[in-house]
Amino acid sequence: MTKLSEIALNGLALGSVYALIALGFVVIFKASGVMNFAHASLLLLGGYVIAKLHEDLGFALAVLVGVAVTAVAAGLIEALFIRGLGKVELHVLTILTIGIDILLTTELVRRIGSDKLSLGDPWGGDAVTIGDATVAKARIAAIITAVVLIGIFFAAFRFTSWGLSMRAASEDREAAALMGVRMKRVQLIAWCIAGALAAVAAVFLTASPTPGLDRTTGLVALKAFPAAVLGGMDSALGALIGAMLIGLSEALAAGYQSDLDALGGGVSGVAPYVVMILILLWRPTGLLGSKELSRV
Amino acid sequence: MTTSGVSAAQVQDPAAHADEAVPELVVRAVTVRFAGLVALDAVSFTVSPGSIHAVIGPNGAGKSTCFNVLSGVYRADRGTVHLGDQELTGLRPDRVARLGMARTFQNIVLTQGTVADNLMLGRHVLTRSGFASTALSLPGARREQRRHRERAREIAEFLDLGPVFDAPVMLLPYGVRKRVEMARALCMEPKVLLLDEPVAGMNGGERKRTAEAIAAVRDSLGISIVIVEHDMGLIMRLADEVTVLDFGRRIAGGTPDQIRQDPAVIRAYLGTGNEDEDGDEAPGPVAGAPAQPAPPVQVQRENEERQ
Amino acid sequence: MSDLPAADPAAKSPDSARIPVTRPPTGVLLRYLLIVAVLLVMAAMPYYLTDFWLLTGLFAMAAALGAIGLNILSGTTGQLSLGHAFFLAVGAYGYMFFSGESGRSGTHDINGLGLPPTVALVLAVLFAGVVGGIFSPISGRLRGMYLGIATLALVFIGEHVMINAHSVTGGYNGRAAEPMEFFGFTLSERDPDELKVLGVEFGAYERLWYLALVLLVVGILLARNLLRGRPGRALGAVRDSEIAAAVMGVPVARYRSMAFVVSSMYAGLAGVLLALIFGRVIPEYFGLALSIDYLAMIVIGGLGSVGGAVAGAVFVTVLPQLFAHYAASLPLVVESGGDGVGPTEAARYLYGAAIVLVLLFAPGGLAGLARRRPRAPKPSARVPARSWSRFRSRSQEPQGAVS
Repeated sequence: MTKLSEIALNGLALGSVYALIALGFVVIFKASGVMNFAHASLLLLGGYVIAKLHEDLGFALAVLVGVAVTAVAAGLIEALFIRGLGKVELHVLTILTIGIDILLTTELVRRIGSDKLSLGDPWGGDAVTIGDATVAKARIAAIITAVVLIGIFFAAFRFTSWGLSMRAASEDREAAALMGVRMKRVQLIAWCIAGALAAVAAVFLTASPTPGLDRTTGLVALKAFPAAVLGGMDSALGALIGAMLIGLSEALAAGYQSDLDALGGGVSGVAPYVVMILILLWRPTGLLGSKELSRV
Repeated sequence: MTTSGVSAAQVQDPAAHADEAVPELVVRAVTVRFAGLVALDAVSFTVSPGSIHAVIGPNGAGKSTCFNVLSGVYRADRGTVHLGDQELTGLRPDRVARLGMARTFQNIVLTQGTVADNLMLGRHVLTRSGFASTALSLPGARREQRRHRERAREIAEFLDLGPVFDAPVMLLPYGVRKRVEMARALCMEPKVLLLDEPVAGMNGGERKRTAEAIAAVRDSLGISIVIVEHDMGLIMRLADEVTVLDFGRRIAGGTPDQIRQDPAVIRAYLGTGNEDEDGDEAPGPVAGAPAQPAPPVQVQRENEERQ
Repeated sequence: MSDLPAADPAAKSPDSARIPVTRPPTGVLLRYLLIVAVLLVMAAMPYYLTDFWLLTGLFAMAAALGAIGLNILSGTTGQLSLGHAFFLAVGAYGYMFFSGESGRSGTHDINGLGLPPTVALVLAVLFAGVVGGIFSPISGRLRGMYLGIATLALVFIGEHVMINAHSVTGGYNGRAAEPMEFFGFTLSERDPDELKVLGVEFGAYERLWYLALVLLVVGILLARNLLRGRPGRALGAVRDSEIAAAVMGVPVARYRSMAFVVSSMYAGLAGVLLALIFGRVIPEYFGLALSIDYLAMIVIGGLGSVGGAVAGAVFVTVLPQLFAHYAASLPLVVESGGDGVGPTEAARYLYGAAIVLVLLFAPGGLAGLARRRPRAPKPSARVPARSWSRFRSRSQEPQGAVS
C-alpha cells in the first residue's frame, strides 16, 4: 500500500467514513448545542446489532435494522436526557453524554468481550483495480455510499422544512422557537439521523479487510471529532471537508510511515489531532464555523 | 448618604478622587461598522466632568454600540475617545477599566455568589493580591481583602444593599440585582460611570429610587455619569445634557429642554408623548417592539459562551 | 468571610451563601472539631487498614489533588478540559526524569538527572506548570467546545510522544520511579528496613500515606484561599462572562492562562504522587479515560467546589475498589471473567449512572447537596416580583451553572 493513488483512495474511503460520523456530530451540535460523546457507543451499538443479526436476516436487512435501532437509541438519548435538562450550561450536557457513553459502552463491551465480530458484508476481501491502484471493494463501497448519503443529507438540509428549521434553530434558537419551529421534533430528528449515519459508518469501519467489530471500534468515532471541529462545529460542509482532510492525512501518514519514523511509530493515529490543532490555531472556530459574536 | 469621612485612610475613597478633578470624556467622530452595517456614524459628544449625560434614541440607534466602544469592548473603525489626556480608543477593556471607566450591562451580568462577592469583584482594579499571595494567605493579602470588603460594604449601604450584602445574588429580585450591578460598578471607584438602561423593567417606585441614587452618586462622588435610557421622564429629571442618536448618527444635543423641542428629535421619535414614567422600552417608530441589541446581525452567544 | 481562619478541608465551596455575622460561635467550633476529627482519623488509618485499602486511600488522595486542579480550571473558570491526563503524565515522568539515574532499562537507554527526590518533586510540579503555560497561546485563542477538543488532542498527542520518547519515559513499558526520601528516610520498604511504629509495620504505603496526607491538606488550603480571594472571583467572572470580567478590569487572557498553569501544577503533583505510589507508570495509563475520570470527579463532586472535588475523587477511585473487594456479596455481580456483570463492569455502570444522575438531578454535585441543607433565604429576597424577573431575564441572563 505504498502507491500514492492507493493511499489517496484509502484516504478518501477513510474520510468518507469519518464524514458520516462527523456529519452526525455536527447535526447534533446544531440541533442541541452539545458535543455528543456518546457517539462512539452509538457507533458500536449499530455495528453490534448488525453483527448479531446478519446471519439470520442477511446483510441488507441486518443493516436496515441496525440503522433503525441506532436511530431510535439516539432519539431516546435526546428525549430522555438532553431535552430533560432544559437550559443548562453546554458543557454540562456534554459531560452528560460522556456518562451515557460510559453506560452504553460498558454494556456493549461486556457482550462483545474479546471477540471480533463480522458484520457479514458482501464484499469480503475482494479488491478492485482502478488505474494503477488496487483497493478493497469495501473501500469503494464506502466512498460511494457516503457520497449518496451525504448528498441526500445536504439535499434534505436545503430543501426540506426540517432542514430549514435546523438552520434557523442553529442560528438563533429563541427566535426559531418563537417563529413556530417545533424544536423538540427538530432535535429528535437530528439525533436520529446522527445515529443512523453512525450505524452506516460502523459497517464500513468493520468490513473486510479489517478484522471486524471489536470492543475498540467505537474509539474510531473519536477521530471524527477533530474532523467536525476543524471544519467548524456548526458547519455540515465543514465537517465534510474536515473529514476528508483527516482521512487523507491519516492515510498519508500511514502510507509514508517509514519516512516518518523520526516522529515515532503510529503517527497516523495522531495525525488527525495535529492537523486539527494547526487549523484551530489559524481559525479558532474551525474552517467554516461561525464566529461567535456576543451581544452585550 | 454621603460617603466621605467614613472610610479608612488607606482605602481609596471618593475623597481622594475629589482632589483630582474628574476629566472630560470626549468622543470624537467615532464610527463603527459591522459587515457593511454602520452602527455608529461619526458620533461626537463631550461629557463634562461631574455631569449626568444621557444618550437616547430609538431602538437600534446605536446606543449600546456606543457604550461598547466607550468601554473598549468594540473597537472603533474611526474616531477617538479621550478621557482627559488619556486616549482610550483601541485599548483592551480591562485597560479601559483600569483607567477609570465602569459600566453596567443592559442584561444584568452578575457572577455567582453573594452580593459581597460581586462587589469585591468590582474592587479588582484597585487591589493587587496575586495568585501566590492569595493562595498562601499572606498577611498583606488578607489585610487588603478586609479593607476592601469594608469599603464594599459602605458602597452597598449607600445603595440600600446592606441587608443583602451576604445573600446569594441569584435569589434576589430583579430590581435589587440591578442595584448590585450599579454598586459593583461604583466599587471600581470610577471617574466615569456608564449606566446601560438602569431602570429598564422597573416599576414606578423603583425608578424613583434609582433616579435618586444616580443623582446622589453624582452629587457625593462627583463622577461623570453617562446613561442610556428610554425613560424620558427620568432623562428629563436627571440629565444635565442629552445626546440623541438615530441610525447611528448624532442628530441633536443639548439640555433636556432643548432637545425636547428639537424638530429633528421629534421626527426621529415620530410622535413623542407616549414615553413617560412607566413607559417600558417602547418609544419611537417601532413602539411595542422589544428592545433589540444593535446591530441586528449579531447573534447572542453570550449565554452559551461559558467555557 | 475572609476573617475566618483558613484551616477547613471539609469546607464547602466559596460560592455558598454564608452569613458569618449571624452564625453562632458554636457552629464554628463544631466545624473545627469536625476537621480535627477527620484529620485524626486520616492519620490513624495506616495502623488499621490493609495494604489493599491503603493503596486505595493513597490513590484517592492523589486523585483528589488532581481533581482540585481540574476544578479550578473547568469548574471555577469554566474552561472545559479533557487534557488533564496529559499534565498528570508530565508530572509523573518529569519526576522520574529529574530523580532517576541514567542507565539502561531493558533494551533502551534511560535518561535521568539523578537529583534528590524532594528537589525532583518540586521541579516536576513547576515543570508541569510551565507546560500548562506553554499551552496558553492555544488556550487563549480557543473557547468552549473548541478548547475542549483541543485538550483532547493534547492527550492523544501526548500519549504518542510519551510512547516514543523512550529515553525519558521508558516507552511502552514505562519506567520505575525513585522512591521519595527525606534526609535519609525513604518512603519505601527499605532505609530503614523493618520500621515498626506502635506495633505496626511501616512499609512503603504506610510511609507514603503521611506524605500524601500532608500534600493533600496543603493543596486544599491553597486552593481554598485562592478561590475565596481575588483570583478566585476573577476566574469565576471569566467563566460567567468574559466581557463583563474584562470590563471589570480582569485581564482575561492572563487569567485563563493562569488557570491552566495552576491546574497543571496540581495535576503534576498528583502525577508525582501516583508515580511514587505505583512505583512504575506506563504511558498507556495517561489516556482519555483518565481525563474523563477526573472530569467525572469534579462533576460528581460539584463544579467550583474544592471540597466537592475531593469528595468526587474519593467516590470515583474508591468505588471500583469497593466493588472488586466485595464482589462476592453483591447481588447480580459475578466474579471477574465470568458470564454476566463482573465487578469492574458493575463499577463502571455505577460510575456512568452517577454522572448522568448527578447532572440530571443534582447539578451542584455532592457539594451542592451538602449546601442545600436548610438555609432560609433572607425574607427580603422572596418577593413576588421574582417570577416576573425570571420572565424578563430568562433569555438574557447567563444561566447559573450549578446551584
